[in-house]
Amino acid sequence: MSPPALRARALGKRYPAGNVALQDVDLEVPAGQVFGLIGRNGAGKTTFVRIAGTQLTPTSGSLEVLGLDVLRQTGELRTRIASVPQESRPLYFVNVDELVYLYLRMRGMERADARHRTDAALEELGLTQVRRRMVNQLSGGMRRRAMVAMILASDAELLFLDEPTTGLDPMARREVWGAIRRIEREGRTIVLTTHYLDEAEALSTRLAVIDGGRVLLQGTPADLRARIRRPYRVTVQGGLTRADIDSFGDVSEIAGGFLVFATEADARELALRAMRAGAHVAMGPASLEDIFLQVVGRRIDEDDAAAPEAA
Amino acid sequence: MTATRHRLRALLTLTYLNGVLPIRTQPLYLINVVASPLSFLFFIVIASNSRLLAYGLGGGMLMTMLSIGTSLQTDISHYRQDLKLQDVVVASPVEAWVYVAGIALSELVYSLPGLGVFVALWAYYGSVGVVGPLTLVAGLSVAVVLIVVWAFASALGFTLATFLQDVRETFVFSGIISLGLSVLPPVYYPIQSLPGVLVPLAYASPTTYAADLLHRAFGQPAIPGVSPAMDWLVVIGFSVVLLGLAAWKARWREP
Repeated sequence: MSPPALRARALGKRYPAGNVALQDVDLEVPAGQVFGLIGRNGAGKTTFVRIAGTQLTPTSGSLEVLGLDVLRQTGELRTRIASVPQESRPLYFVNVDELVYLYLRMRGMERADARHRTDAALEELGLTQVRRRMVNQLSGGMRRRAMVAMILASDAELLFLDEPTTGLDPMARREVWGAIRRIEREGRTIVLTTHYLDEAEALSTRLAVIDGGRVLLQGTPADLRARIRRPYRVTVQGGLTRADIDSFGDVSEIAGGFLVFATEADARELALRAMRAGAHVAMGPASLEDIFLQVVGRRIDEDDAAAPEAA
Repeated sequence: MTATRHRLRALLTLTYLNGVLPIRTQPLYLINVVASPLSFLFFIVIASNSRLLAYGLGGGMLMTMLSIGTSLQTDISHYRQDLKLQDVVVASPVEAWVYVAGIALSELVYSLPGLGVFVALWAYYGSVGVVGPLTLVAGLSVAVVLIVVWAFASALGFTLATFLQDVRETFVFSGIISLGLSVLPPVYYPIQSLPGVLVPLAYASPTTYAADLLHRAFGQPAIPGVSPAMDWLVVIGFSVVLLGLAAWKARWREP
């Protein structure tokens, strides 16, 4: 079994202003997979990725990336990683082709290899038609895609993609997803931070839920589901009252009915009872969004003014 | 060997990226680089009835080099804070010094056409006897002085960029740098023209000594009591200190 791409032990980060962004993070990312790091804004995702990307110094704990100590073996590590930060934007005076090609050349790649990889990345992300267009003439989504193309074209073994599809339309998101899957097939590792739970679920082999600077849960989507108390969701519309449902699990009101999180047995029984009462019923395993809600206690798009992270 | 080749490739790529491509997009940058030094030269020539032409030429060259510090400060700050591109570079094989040197070299490339204008003026006015002639020795001497000034202006710009919270703060430093390094020192005029109270301040500025070397190359009177050796000592010493400070302040990884 190959060593993990990333191993954090009691990793912590307290910013000079005093705010704590990460606390005792233990995390293991297997090599050759897409690892999704999910959390609300300010949860600590970006801080974690910046420490792993050698851009930020941790204040406690240890972190090994590709078997190298992130603080002591930085030079070698940097030759093997690539990162696209959350709010990064391209230089306005280059065209899309130059952005990708010159990044690869800057990393030391030979001319022919850089050219080949640039062409392939632009094709893969649907940017070939606009390759000669200056980036300041592109939409925000296109610029983001160009930044992602730049990183995905690299030969790095480990790629950090911090919210890579923010601002992209559904078609463009799918193209980025395709490129991420291709990288995974090549045996390379991707650490993906996102607050799009459908994206995390579609792409990640393993996931970690992070909130308030702590990792609350990690594992495969099935692992996560197995670790929550009520891993099934049932929606009931009509037929039953709240009093009829309350004993089956966590109940919340939705348009025209109720959403219930329950154990498998309770979910089955509730579904049967609701059908007998003539209600519209839908039952299935909890989605990642449901898991997140149960673990964190808030929706992923809910902001928390008291969130401890600044980065 | 491979590592050296990669470093050189990164250095040249950064130079091309930041020094050549912006000019393709906006050629007026070239005029902007030379506009301020030429304006000073114009006023000095008019006001002195061409008597201080040599000082205007030397001052223009020095000011062009010193403005590199301000440009570098702005670019480094912009790429780090606005575009977050420095984070992209940090997580790559490009080392901190290669990045800074690449940006500094790109600013030099950017300034070369401006310098070319001053060299052409020197060649012309030297040939008609208004200033000292452009000989191989004088030309090399001026080139070396300008390279050293480029190095310390870049180091200064980088060091100041590490203090900036926002790109707008660049303007705070640029005025002060301009005053301390290219207005107050006798760059555009002989030191004898300064009011007595300002002379000690002028002696405290390293640009005074760089300017003295240029003025000598242009066949103008030297600063009283200052030898070329002392000029070189001060200019090189100041550069070494600033380069050391820049290396000390360079944080490729945020604390």
